[in-house]
Amino acid sequence: MIKLAIYGKGGIGKSTVSCNVSAAMAKKGLRVMQIGCDPKADSTSLLRGGERIPTVLQVTREKGNALALEDVIYDGAFGVKCVEAGGPVPGLGCAGRGIINALETLEKKGAFELCKPDVVIYDVLGDVVCGGFSMPMRKGYADKVFVVTSGEKMSVYAAANICMAIDNFKGRGYASLGGIILNRRGVEDERSAAETLAADFGSSVIADIDRCEEIPAAEKAGKTVAELFAGSRADEQLSCTAQAILDAFGGAL
Amino acid sequence: MKNAARIIPCYSADTSGVCSALYELGGLTVVHDASGCNSTYSTHDEPRWYDMRSNIFISALTEMDAIMGNDEKLIADTVSAAKDRKPAFIALCGSPMPMMTGVDFDAVAAEVEARSGIRTFGLHTNGTRSYIEGASEALAAVVREYAEPCGKVRGRVNVLGLTPLDLPLGADKHIREWLASHGFECGCTLAMGDSLESIKKLPSAEVNLLVSEAGRGAAEYLKKEYGIPCICGVPFGNGFADELAERLRSAANGSKPVALSTAEAGQAEVIVIGEGISAMSLAEALRRDLGLNAGAINTQPSEGAASGDVLSCEEDIEAALLELRPKAVVADPLYRYILPAGTRLIEVPHFAFSGRCFQRAMVNLINTDIKEYFK
Ligand SMILES: Nc1ncnc2c1ncn2[C@@H]1O[C@H](COP(=O)(O)OP(=O)(O)OP(=O)(O)O)[C@@H](O)[C@H]1O
Ligand SMILES: [Mg+2]
Repeated sequence: MIKLAIYGKGGIGKSTVSCNVSAAMAKKGLRVMQIGCDPKADSTSLLRGGERIPTVLQVTREKGNALALEDVIYDGAFGVKCVEAGGPVPGLGCAGRGIINALETLEKKGAFELCKPDVVIYDVLGDVVCGGFSMPMRKGYADKVFVVTSGEKMSVYAAANICMAIDNFKGRGYASLGGIILNRRGVEDERSAAETLAADFGSSVIADIDRCEEIPAAEKAGKTVAELFAGSRADEQLSCTAQAILDAFGGAL
Repeated sequence: MKNAARIIPCYSADTSGVCSALYELGGLTVVHDASGCNSTYSTHDEPRWYDMRSNIFISALTEMDAIMGNDEKLIADTVSAAKDRKPAFIALCGSPMPMMTGVDFDAVAAEVEARSGIRTFGLHTNGTRSYIEGASEALAAVVREYAEPCGKVRGRVNVLGLTPLDLPLGADKHIREWLASHGFECGCTLAMGDSLESIKKLPSAEVNLLVSEAGRGAAEYLKKEYGIPCICGVPFGNGFADELAERLRSAANGSKPVALSTAEAGQAEVIVIGEGISAMSLAEALRRDLGLNAGAINTQPSEGAASGDVLSCEEDIEAALLELRPKAVVADPLYRYILPAGTRLIEVPHFAFSGRCFQRAMVNLINTDIKEYFK
């Protein structure tokens, strides 16, 4: 089983990349589980026809310890297992603690033993603002982190902060940086901005996705690009991204 | 209001369980919590504090350190205390505040170990679970760290799960004597009246005696890794103590011990309330020695607990007693306040419940005539 986490600035395309990469991997025949770690709970919506699923925290609140895995794990496109951690409504509670609680619940209930995934993808909220959002990087969770960025200054800045956090945690046996995923916005010198960032952290740009029409169109339909635009350039790039991620694990599968 | 105790106190929490379990083992126990005050964990919940030294520290976590995620202070203070005290090992455990901010105790422990050169492990307490769970995790951790493969010693029995939270001081001595009188050799008494040295030799025993659920984690590990069978029970009274010795003997000989014919709490005229294994054992002792129809209520929910129905909240215990209407209840003195009218209370103080309040009234019921006490 390989476990990875997708981080990056808010709105940069983490969930889009996660869902499409999950789909591409599942299409190759891998068993994939995607866990949204964002109180918005919209990580897996592209895999579920745009529809929301009950979150781990919501069900925990309703059922307490009687929560069953079937209440929180749902089949998505290509058989991807979809989970949303969930969290409080904006402005209340503690979202970070929520992520910790939800991930511990999944572990305790034996979600991985039940689904036996080959690949686990954690799609984590934009900024690593507190301990809860570094939970998916911890020992026993993701082994590698992939950071999504465009060439825009703020995006690179956020990505650098995430890479720095990963660096800080080196002594703790946390996840290592697996690589940078460039999701283009069409600004100037985009590739070189991403490459400079990668080089600063001894990493590389492992994937390059163009800004395109297929992604928003598929989003509108609540579908992955692989379902709606199979064979398109976007589909190809996303599938290359999936392969590059698998390659970063050095053929562990 | 479920789970809220309105009348009776709540039991000691997981953090106290850790401190109690590791108290005598020569380690350094650090509770990551606000203030530097030890009292909750080590005096109110600890009868040995004034007579026996132990290295237990509270990290004095401040609001700022919590907000800023300043784990460095905990790490540096722990390493410095360790340099000073030279403990055999270091155990780090948490409380509600670190739970909220998500302190990663395994990661912090790895850093402490790297800097101090002393074996360090993180325990995942948060101050909201039962002392049983904290103690069980702590004992399992030391056993995992220290137990070494070694040859079997004929007739050797380990006693697992001994803490003063459930059994009175001196229980280790009484159990040792009882084992000797039945021709057993007592191995490690985890963790009262014993040392890390004998923990190393835990695997040499033929059978483990689990005297409280606090030893469950250790018992399971020893079963899985070394195939040591485990028998549950505290040798209260005479009849039950003899039967328990028989069960140990057949387990030691590799045969499956006959199951206990335990009573259903439903038909009982006497109900013992307390930690699962203690309560079950005392009920069995009352049946055998006094011919009473006794049942037990286990108040400690814990993973893997085998003994009896667990009723952990005041409301449920109160309702169960009202329904069962036993003639008498055997429990800590503070249970008096939720008994149905007309039900007699026979007081057996329980440290994890009432702390030092009734410390002087604690009696030894192990391997002795209990008829007088329960007359
Ligand atoms: N390569 C692309 N081309 C065109 N549109 C894109 C591309 N990548 C992402 N988008 C669009 O950008 C928007 C934000 O994407 P997404 O929701 O995946 O971001 P996110 O990083 O998960 O955001 P959040 O931080 O809010 O979770 C979506 O509407 C998505 O369709
Ligand atoms: Mg998202």
